Order: sequence, then structure tokens, then C-alpha cells
Amino acid sequence: MNHSSVNLSRRRFLQMASAAGFGAMVSPSDLFAQYRYLSPVAVPNPLEAYPNRDWERMYRDIYRTDKTFVFMCCPNDTHNCLLNAFVKNNVVVRIEPTYGYGKAQDLYGNQASHRWDPRCCQKGLVLARRFYGDRRINGAFLRKGFKEWADKDFPRDPLTGAAPKELMRRGWDSWVKVSHEEANRYHAKALSNVAKTYSGEQGKKLLLAQGYDPDMVEQVGGAGTRVMKFRGGMAKQGAVRIFGTFRMGNSMALLDHHIRGVSPDEAKGTGSWDSYSFHTDLPPGHPMVTGDQTNDFELFDAENAKLIIAWGMNWITTKMPDSHWMTEARLKGTKVVAVTVEYSATANKCDDVIVIRPATDPAFALGLAHVIISEGLYDAAFVKRFTDLPALVRMDTLQLLKASDVFSGHKDSSLKNWTNVVPKGQYAPPTTQQKGVQIPEYLVKEFADFVVWDSKSKRPVALAHDQIGEHFDKLGIDPALTGSFEVATVDGKKIQVRPVFDLTKQYLDQNMTLESVSKITWAPREAILSLARDIAASSGQTLFACGMGPNQFWNNDNKDRAIFLVAALTGSLGRHGGNVGSYAGTYKNTLFSGVPRWTYEDPFNPQLDPNGAVKTKLYLRPESMHYWANGERLMKAGNKKITTGAHTPTPTKAIWQVNSNSSLGNQKGFYDVVFNTLPRCELVVYNDWWWTASCEFSDIVYGVDSWMEFKYPDMTASNSNPFVQAYPRTPAKRAFNTVSDNETYLGVARELSKLTGDKRFEQMWHFIAAERTDVYLQRIIDGSTPLKGYRFEDLENLAKRGVPALMNTRTYPRINSYEQVQESKPWYTKTGRLEFYRPELEFIEAGENLIVHREPSDATFYDPCAIVAAPHPAIQPKRPEDWGIAADDRSHITRQMRNTTYDVEGLLKTKHPLRDKGWDHVFHTPKYRHGAHTMPVDTDFMAALFGPFGDMYRRDKRSPSSGEMYVDMNPLDARKLGINDGDYVWVDGDPNDLPFRGWNDPARKDEYKVARLLVRARYYPGTPQGITRMWFNGYMATPGSVKAHETRPDGAAKNEETNYQALFRYGGHQSLTRSWLKPTHQTHTLITRKSWTNEVTKGFNVDVHCVTNAPRESIAKFTKAEDGGIGGKGLWRPVALGLRPANESPALKQYLQGGFVKIIKA
Amino acid sequence: MPKVYNWQIGREMEYPYEGVRPQKQFAMIMDTNKCIACQTCTVACKTTWTSGRGQEAMFWNNVETKPYGYYPLGWDVKILEKLGVQDISGPVYQGKTLFESAPAGERILGYLPDDLDYAHPNIGEDDSTSNMGQGAFLQVPHMQWMYYLPRICNHCTYAACLGSCPRQSIYKRPEDGIVLLDQQRCRGYRECVKGCPYKKTHFNPMTRVSEKCIGCYPAVENNRQTQCTITCIGKIRTQGFIAPPDKAREDNPIDYLVHVAKVAKPLYPQFGLEPNVYYIPPVHVPPQYLYQMFGGGVEEAIKNYRNASADMKLLGAMLLFGATPEIIHHYKVEGRYTIGYDEKGSELVRVPLKEPIYLRVVYDDKYQTHRSNIT
Repeated sequence: MNHSSVNLSRRRFLQMASAAGFGAMVSPSDLFAQYRYLSPVAVPNPLEAYPNRDWERMYRDIYRTDKTFVFMCCPNDTHNCLLNAFVKNNVVVRIEPTYGYGKAQDLYGNQASHRWDPRCCQKGLVLARRFYGDRRINGAFLRKGFKEWADKDFPRDPLTGAAPKELMRRGWDSWVKVSHEEANRYHAKALSNVAKTYSGEQGKKLLLAQGYDPDMVEQVGGAGTRVMKFRGGMAKQGAVRIFGTFRMGNSMALLDHHIRGVSPDEAKGTGSWDSYSFHTDLPPGHPMVTGDQTNDFELFDAENAKLIIAWGMNWITTKMPDSHWMTEARLKGTKVVAVTVEYSATANKCDDVIVIRPATDPAFALGLAHVIISEGLYDAAFVKRFTDLPALVRMDTLQLLKASDVFSGHKDSSLKNWTNVVPKGQYAPPTTQQKGVQIPEYLVKEFADFVVWDSKSKRPVALAHDQIGEHFDKLGIDPALTGSFEVATVDGKKIQVRPVFDLTKQYLDQNMTLESVSKITWAPREAILSLARDIAASSGQTLFACGMGPNQFWNNDNKDRAIFLVAALTGSLGRHGGNVGSYAGTYKNTLFSGVPRWTYEDPFNPQLDPNGAVKTKLYLRPESMHYWANGERLMKAGNKKITTGAHTPTPTKAIWQVNSNSSLGNQKGFYDVVFNTLPRCELVVYNDWWWTASCEFSDIVYGVDSWMEFKYPDMTASNSNPFVQAYPRTPAKRAFNTVSDNETYLGVARELSKLTGDKRFEQMWHFIAAERTDVYLQRIIDGSTPLKGYRFEDLENLAKRGVPALMNTRTYPRINSYEQVQESKPWYTKTGRLEFYRPELEFIEAGENLIVHREPSDATFYDPCAIVAAPHPAIQPKRPEDWGIAADDRSHITRQMRNTTYDVEGLLKTKHPLRDKGWDHVFHTPKYRHGAHTMPVDTDFMAALFGPFGDMYRRDKRSPSSGEMYVDMNPLDARKLGINDGDYVWVDGDPNDLPFRGWNDPARKDEYKVARLLVRARYYPGTPQGITRMWFNGYMATPGSVKAHETRPDGAAKNEETNYQALFRYGGHQSLTRSWLKPTHQTHTLITRKSWTNEVTKGFNVDVHCVTNAPRESIAKFTKAEDGGIGGKGLWRPVALGLRPANESPALKQYLQGGFVKIIKA
Repeated sequence: MPKVYNWQIGREMEYPYEGVRPQKQFAMIMDTNKCIACQTCTVACKTTWTSGRGQEAMFWNNVETKPYGYYPLGWDVKILEKLGVQDISGPVYQGKTLFESAPAGERILGYLPDDLDYAHPNIGEDDSTSNMGQGAFLQVPHMQWMYYLPRICNHCTYAACLGSCPRQSIYKRPEDGIVLLDQQRCRGYRECVKGCPYKKTHFNPMTRVSEKCIGCYPAVENNRQTQCTITCIGKIRTQGFIAPPDKAREDNPIDYLVHVAKVAKPLYPQFGLEPNVYYIPPVHVPPQYLYQMFGGGVEEAIKNYRNASADMKLLGAMLLFGATPEIIHHYKVEGRYTIGYDEKGSELVRVPLKEPIYLRVVYDDKYQTHRSNIT
């Protein structure tokens, strides 16, 4: 036994006592009295033994809980986790993963392994603080002005029919708490009133009088229900409860039937808004190449790859539970490369990191393609067997040469290879019974035989849609990839034809040389060369994991097409370990192919027998919400209309959305939407379990159950993992006065039944009322190819134990293009092949029939939307003058229709129109690890951990919360502008439109104050000069949050009435964004597969071929606002202490160099 | 002062108490190459243990981005600066430990952080070194870099908190080596806060006593790994027990990784505390910085780690991370599986070294449906 060998000096003891807070003691004897407990217990050696350990019980008591239950956590992050809630005294005190994922099986006994465990994240584990948080919506709320309007029986302007402006002050108004039933009554009455007002000729007149675009009014078709927009956000997250919004919208055909007195055949449901394309998650070039919505691979395919490219994908922050598949693949020898615009979080998990200028991804990919082609590294067999690159293009029309053009009396081949023609007047079989691609008879002519030049026989040869892969091999031909050929057409003309490959090669040789690509993209030449060679050396084994980054720029389809080209050139498609994927959003709801049996059930014939057959009929009219977010403006300029036909939206007079804060509260161009567009709307309803910014701007808010207290089971799955998962019913009591989303539909339907006397409204929700949601879920399962065979009851029982099941897709891991590449089945395209040439008129007019690089629409230092193309015979876009557009008109909408071409040197001489006026920085807004969209970033712990400025005690009262948002700037840029690390800055976007149109009207100064972005600046050395970044995930300032921090003694930006908590004092990241509508997304000619079926369609296809917006497009001006020190005095403390980047103290400098050790290596 | 043997520095050193090793020593390995800084561990810890009043700024577990992240602010820069430049050449540490550098009349060289140093728990998040140019091509080692360092209490063999507590309120549990701070006996002098170079004891201004990471002993006593480990979705952690090098057992994954494969290294071994959390160093970071943090063996660690595909035992140990919430005492690689066992040798979990690929039928006659990857 050894006692401490250190004798404390008396002086030292006094110092310690002082530190302990007894410094005011007057005499040493008083002081020592404080330590009277010290003497009796002696601990000879605390390394060896300790006398009294009973106190340890304290932490065992904290750890011990009464019971546990499993719930499903499912924000919009594409993962979905069954989590274990630990309960003490009937309160959930902590949350843990279930370790049940390794137990998941499919219908055939295949099992996942425990390498899938644990599944959870910080956002799920913090939920116990959110389930009981003060922003839970306790009951239902009516906006005061709305209630007054309804109570007065909806008075309207006699000339225009518009609702009184003074009663539509959303965001500035106050609230009345009501019962859910009362809210249902108001809701049903308002729906009925809106439908009635805008029906028929009278409705049309009013809409025109209110100034709506006549093209939009025409799409209403006289049915007032069509001006309502219903939307379940990220609907796959709740097969019943979220898709239920669309079912509700579909059943509004009943309301139309009653209001207009039309027959069921003529009745119309509501408009329905998009989700995947609305979130700019859709990679719009994927359907242009494959005909399918999105080609991807489940992320655990990573370990089958030789090379992984995390391309604009911040994998480790946005795919957190699947990050280990990437890091473990690397551990086992896979090379991982980041293509990124900064030293991103993911960069530190990569072998190579290539930093490029934002939105130059198309050029970068084309640069890779150029190296691969010019060095002869491409897989010619793959190219000839699976792509349209050998197809001949007529140089006179720029159309593909058809077999019937050159072979007299040619009869197109019949479509038999995994393809079925659906005769006119018939329907395709149910999806579970579909044997491949379903082509409606009217589209068969689009799939005509095309022509290649056979190098063996030196003549043109017809190639059919079916002749892909091994079916192509049987022909024994060798199509030429390069060259120009003359052929005689059946009408006696001699025309030049060239393979797509040859035209593409010419474009690459002209514009995408190493030197040129390096200049456009900033990527060093050796980076382009190295990656291209790595891809070629990993032929068939490269995974292109593409993220939201490049997808959120205007040229996103150029990017997709170019990346596919690189993959196809090297055979990395449709193979385990070799494929293209795009990872944004919870898509692949198409894998729940039975969903239409729920959403589109015929409301005139609801099936009340649980085992009866369901009749479906589509009454909804899908449209893209981006037009609404664009101020309900279509794309047109000069004498040209781009937005026409099925792409054209209707006016929006009523909105009902569930499960989505991004559709309003985190909307692109948020302040323009809420201050300019939303006031024209007459009814805004949101269901939520947390008071978000969307709620701040609503008329009716329903407080609904959180995941903790689900009383109606549900079902979900994801695109990035193989699990189908039930939301189990939970034993937790409702902590607040909430209802299920399902009950809001039922409640409103009941009121509509009362108003109309038609029981069918209510009958549509019969099994909700009967608490038999499983009936609806089973109907979905029975209609879904990967699910059929499961019983919902079994899935729920498994989920209650924390165990999911596996989707029964064809392969585990599910990879797209598998059947095409491995089994020679066609893609959903006209040629059946991967298509790299787009012969449709819209593409030719846009100059994008070939894959080209276009500059982004705003986030560039050069001429926005410019096409990089030296003169090329196949690139013949419509010029501004062709469409009557003024030569220098680069306004927001018009610039997207300016198809101006420059060669590379020419482009680099141009300038963004705002560049000489102080708008010098690209400003982009990616997603980050601390939030799934906005969930749960305003929870105290999360806010405190979100970036460098968190402080649980809010020592600086300017901080809106226990954390706040910030903008990342390159330190050299910031210094030039006199901005110190941690200072507050004003950030302004294009003053013509932002933060909202009309901001400079003095009468709108209050709105401008709310909308103009004020935020902390962080010195961020990982971003290049000229490029600034701010995370997407913050709750933005609203009139209520601004009033709060300006008046509350504690300065918190927390609305005193609603408790809404902003993470900004003023403005938000969407102060600098606005809608962008790319013409090539609005064609009437592209062939694509519809969701939930193998049937193809032409033109507008919601969430597949429609506008996607470009929310990362902005160029910004920065102005210093306030010092960063507490209360605005001096430097932010960590800067003053020399502990920040670009302000290092000598000690920190030494530390960074590893200078506190010296080492001589033997 | 007594002399104790610290194997991490390869020599004896001064420590306030006679060296006594526990029957088992709590240990953890963290693979920085897999850490994604998601803070799930931080939130798991916080929601389990420190969600009360007075604990607002207290994070027993935190994840900081190196080199500009520190909780509390500048902790390692400050203590390294105080310790001065030390020679770490060779297997035997030539420099001075913190105990050996203690100012006269004190037991250890330390400092007491300011309250404000705890204000921003995630300062430095994702900040990298130097200045990004317009366009870059980085290859290993990245010349512009950052990485994530998750931290808990190191449950040191020669804990500085324990050694500096004048009231002897901090002790090491003989049964598992977890270092605890007696909440009843502590009087809040903050000597431990000052003494711990890792700053992993925290003063609670409400209770007026200090607190620290408890190694989740209520879980560990039940053979479960800590909360930060079982929630780690990066699967970067394993928690179990480590033996000193002379008693290392190859079938204990922690012993294997630390003592045999030598891929996991202690944090700032030169401080002399023999910390029991081990890190697999980040392979992309220039070595000079890593020597300072993990000692001279980092290059060997990185080399061995990058060779994992050829070392099935190493791979097998690594792929058991996160596969089970139970504590793995033994493991073996058998065929295409790696298998973890409990203390008594019962199988806890087996996982494949590579997840299998399954191919399902094109048409399922039993359930009358196609099975496809598209819809």
C-alpha cells in the first residue's frame, strides 16, 4: 500500500479552495472547516481499491427503464430506422438502435447480415426531446383572418372573386385553437367554396380577372376542384398516411360531381403536386438516357466495386448509416475518389479528391469521356451492344436515320424482347403480371427500327429495339463508331449520315480537351487524366455515386447524360460494382407498384369489402409545383412559349400538404413565395407534428401524431437500402392533442359527406374509421412486385421487434440496368438502348441533342446558360433572335431560353451580368449531417452541435437559438471584404428578383426586413475563392420570429405565439434562390416509363420528366454587418485567441506542423 | 513519486500512486478512417447521461474535427504548448510526461479551461488546413486535410484526474478498469478538470461537483458495449477489454488490433497516462501531425491497415465493429465469416466478410408475380 507521495503545500491548498468557490472565506481555520469530511475516509491507492461504492447505484438507476417499444423514424433522408424507445414513468427517456436489421429476410429465406446494424443516427436519438417539445402542435389551429373570412361565409371581391387581402395576411396574423373536428368543418366548407367559385364559365372569368395566365386558366377545364393542389410529401414514407393526400385529391372528383353536376366520367379531381422532381431530387438526364426515372444501386453494392466515385455526393453526411459500406469497401481495397467543389466531409474518406468549379460537372464528365475515347480506352463491345452510339444520324434533319428511310418497303420489327404492345382500348396487365416494357399501341411508331453502318459489309443495316446485348450479337455485324457515310433514301436523296459516337467525338475533340476542361472546371489536367484512366482500368467495376450537389444546378440533365456516357464507354452499368446512381430524396416509390390501388381507388365505387377487388380511376391532374414557386409564371419569352400542354399548371387557390416543410417553409425562393404568391391562394392547410415555417404561413394546421405515437400502422421503404419496413402501432400515449394524418382525411371527408349528402366521401376512408388500415396496406402489397407474398400483419409484428423485411426485388443488392445488361432486355427508350443522342425537336432547338456542357443559370462567373460549343454540324440551337428575344436580355426567365454558343476561350471572356456590380461569389446551399431537411435542427442539442457557433447558453443574445446558421467563405475572400471570421454579414442575391420581387417598394419594408439574409460568416479554408456555401437545413426567419427577437428580453428568434424557432435572425438560405425551369425538361416528346408500371408514356410524366428547378443557383454579394464578438463588440473570441483558420496563434501554427514532437526515424 | 511502468512509452515513469492494474481494463478502438462526425455517439451519450440542468455544455463524448476542432477550445494545443517540444524517437519515450513536468508542489502539468472554452462544442467542424485553390487534385497524403476525432474519457491506466484529486474521490474499478468520479464525495475543487490533459472531466455548476464519462458501467456490467459504441453507425468503434502487451491474446479483437496488428494507437501517449482508447490513424493525413498525436508508430499502423485485405484476422476483427451490442471477448475468422464470442465462448454474432449477392426468380409461381429491379 502506498499513500500519495505528493504533499500538498498549504499555499496550493488555499488556491484549490479558492477555485472551488470558497475564496471569500476569511481565515484558514474557516477554510479547513469546509473539509471536515475529508479526514475519516482514507483511500490508500484509488488505482487499487475504493472504500464506498454504493453511490454507483445512481447511474444504474438512470440507466434502468420500465419498458421499451419500437417505432419507425422516417424523415426525408432515405434511410428509415426502426428504433427502440426506452420508457420510464411513461415517458420516453432515450432511444437506441434495435440491432434487428441483420435478422431481415425475404420470402425465399435470404437474409441480411448484422453488418447492417446498427441503424440510427443523432437525429433519431434526439427525438425524445422533440416528442415532448414545445413546438409540438397541440390540437388544431385556424388562422384568425381565415376564420373570420369563413365565418363571414367567404366574402369575395365582386369583380375578381378574390378573397379580401386584409384577411389573407399569413405569417403576420394570429391563431385560434380549435378542435380537430371544428377544423375539419372549416376545411370542408372552404374546399367546397373554392371549388364552387372557380367552376364553370364564371370561375374562368374570375381567374382571368385575377390576372392568371390564360394558358393556365385553360387547364382548369371549368372544374373548380382543379385549382386545389393536394400533396403528400415524400409519399413513400407512409404508403397509406402520406399517399392518402393523393387519394383525398382523387376523391375530390366526387365534389366536382356534386358542384358541377357532371357524371363520374367527366368529373375531375384536384391538381396534385410533384415530390421527387419538386425537391430537385430527380436526376432529369436519367430518363433521357434510360427512359427510367432513376438508375441507381443500393449503396451496399459499394464493396463489389474496384473504384467508387463520390460525385457531388457528400456521402458521409447525407447517407450516414450507409457510410460504412463505403469506408469498409475502401478498407478492403476499393479506391474512392471524390469529385467535389470543396474539401468536403466526404473528401476526408477518399483517396483522391478532385475539386472543381460548381456546376461544371457536365464539362468534367465530358473531359473524362474525351480522355477515354482519345486514348482508345473504351469498351467498344459494350458501346455497340447496349448504346445508341453506333446509330446513324441524318445530317440533313439531325434525326436518327430510320430503317424505313433507306430500305424500300422496310417493315419495322415487331416488339417482342421483354416488350409487350398494349392494343388500343385495352389496359396493360397489372404490374405484377407485366412481362417487360409495356408500349401503348399509339406509341409503337416511336420504336421504329434505326440504322447502323456495318463495317464488315460496308453498308447500312437496320437495328431493332429488341436487338440488344446477346440479341445484337446474333446479327454478326460490326457497327462503325466513327466516319461519315453517304446513303440513298427511299425518296431518292443522297444524304450524309454519321454515328452518334462520331458526332459526340467531334464535339469532345473540339471543346473538351484536357486543357479546355481544366480551364472550364478548374480541375488540374492530371486530375482529369488520372480519373479517366482509373475508370478505364476499372471497366465494369466503377460505381458512379452521384449526389444532390450537381443535380441542383440548372444543367443537371447535361450532367447526367455526360456521366452516363463515361459509364457506358467503360461498361460500368447494370453490374454489381459497376453502375451509375443518383442519391437524393426518397424516391423509388415505384417499387410499391401497388400504390395506385390505394391512391386512385374510384371514389364513385369505394370497395368496402376487405377482400373485394378495387376499381381504380385517375382523377388527379399531376403538375409540377415549381411553376407555383415561380410566382405562377410559365416559361415564355419573345414569341416563344416553352411551357405548354400537360406541363402547364393551373392556378392555385387551395393547398393541402402533409409531411413536408420543404414545400413551403423551406421553399426555393421562400420569401417570393410567401409574400407574393401565397397571398393569391385562399386556403392553405398543413398537417405536421412540429410547428414549422410552413405552419407559420398556413390557414389550418392539424397537429398530427409523431412517429412515437403512431396509432395507425403504415409501411415504407427506401431507394438506398433493401428493407421494407412497417411503422408499428406503438403503445405510447399521445402526448398532445393530435390525430393521425389518416384521421384528418377521414374528418374532412365526413364533413364533405354532410355538406353534399354523399356517403362515399366518408366511405373512402372506411377502413381508417374501422381501424383496419391493414386492409389498405395489404392491397398495396398485393399489387407490388417486390412485396407480393407478404402479409402486412407479419411485417408489423416483425417491426414491433425491431426487425424489417427484405424487398423481393430481382437482386440483393438491387441494382438498376441489371436485367438490361445481364439479360439483354431493353431499357425504356425508343431504341431499347442507352441513348446518348436526343433527336426530339425540343432538344435540337435547345442545342442539346448531343451531350454538351452548359453553364449554370446563375451560379457562374460567365454568361449564364451559355452552351460551350465551337461550330458543329449537329449543334444548331434556336438563337435569341429566332424567338424574338432581345440580344442582351438575360433576365431570370429569358436567360434560360438563350441558346447562345461559345467556344471555350469565348466563354471565358464573358461575364455574368451582375459581376461588375459587386456580385462576385457563387452561393450554394447543400444538405448536411445535422438535419434531414429541417428535421430536427432546432432541437437544442442539435442546434448546439450544428457548426461552430452553437452555444447552449446563448451567451451572445444575437444568436437566434442554441445554435445558428452560417455562411462559409474562403478566408482570403472574406478579408478582402473586411469580414472577420464570425462576423455577421448581409448576403444579397440578384436584386432584380431577390429576396422577393418588389422588395425595394418602401411600402414593403417590413417584409424586406424579414427576408434579407443576415448571417454569421465562417472562415472556411476548404472552399475555393469565389465559392461560398451555406447549409440548406435551417428554419428561416418569419414575421413572427423577427418580431420575437426584436422584442423578447432574451433575444431568441422564437415566435412567442407559436413557439416557431428560426435559426436566423433575418432571412434564410432561400433568400437567394428562385425557380429555374429548363426547357429540355418540358418536352412533349421524350419517351419514359410511368411510375408503378412498366408502361411507357410520352412527354410530361410527373416526377420523371418535368421541371426540376435549380435551387443551388445563385450569385451573391456580401457586406459586413456586425462584429463577431459577443454583443457585436470586437472579434469572435476563438479568433481573438488565435485558434481559428487563417488566424492562427504561434502555438497553433506549431501544432498544425506537428511541431510539438521531434522524431528521428530509424 | 512512485515509479510505474507505462508500456505505451516503453519505460517507467513517475505517478502519484503505485501502479496497480485492474483485473480487466476497459478499452475502446475507434477507426478514424470510418468516423463520419455524425455525432450520434455524442447524442447517445448526452440523452442517456447528461441531459440535466447544469449539464447543458457537458459532452462526455464529443467528436471534433482535427485540426481546428477542440472541445474545450484549444485543449490539446494548450497542453502541448505547456509541455513543450518532446523527443519521441525510438520505442522508448525520451521526453517528459505530464507527471514528470509537474510544476513544483503540483502533481501534474495542467491548466483549467475557461467556462467560455466549452461554449462551442463543435467549433472547427469540417475546417481543413491551408487554403483551397480554384481547382485541386489531392492524393494521399492530402496536403490539405482534416479528419474526425471522437473522444470519450480514456479510462487511463495512470489517470491524471485520479492522480490530481486531492480528496481521492476518483478511482479505478478493479473489475473493469473504468475510472469513476464519486458524486457523493467530490467537492468540486476542479483539480481533476485541471489535471486531465484530455479535459474529460467536467464541472457541473448546478451540483457544484465534477462529473465524467462513466464508461457506461451499468451497461458494461451487463456485458453490453457503451452507448456511444452501440449507436455508432459509422461502425468505427468496438469496446471491450485490453491486456498489457505481455498478456495479449490474439483472439481478443482489441488485443489483436493494438498489440498484434498494431493498427490502433493511443491518443497523445507522450502525456504518460496510458490511455485506453485506441485510434486507427487517418490514412490521408501527413504523418508529421500524426506523430504528435498518436506517436511514432503511425506509419506502420497505416501500412498495416491499408493491407487489411491481405490480413483476414485484421479484416475479421474490423468487420465485427458494430455487429452486436454485446461485448466481444474472443473472435475468429472461419471461411467467409468472422465470428464474435462472449467471455464464456458462446457465439454472439457472425457476419460475412463480404455481403452476399442474391438473385431471385424472374417470375414467382407461388405468389404469381414478377420480381424485377425496376418496379
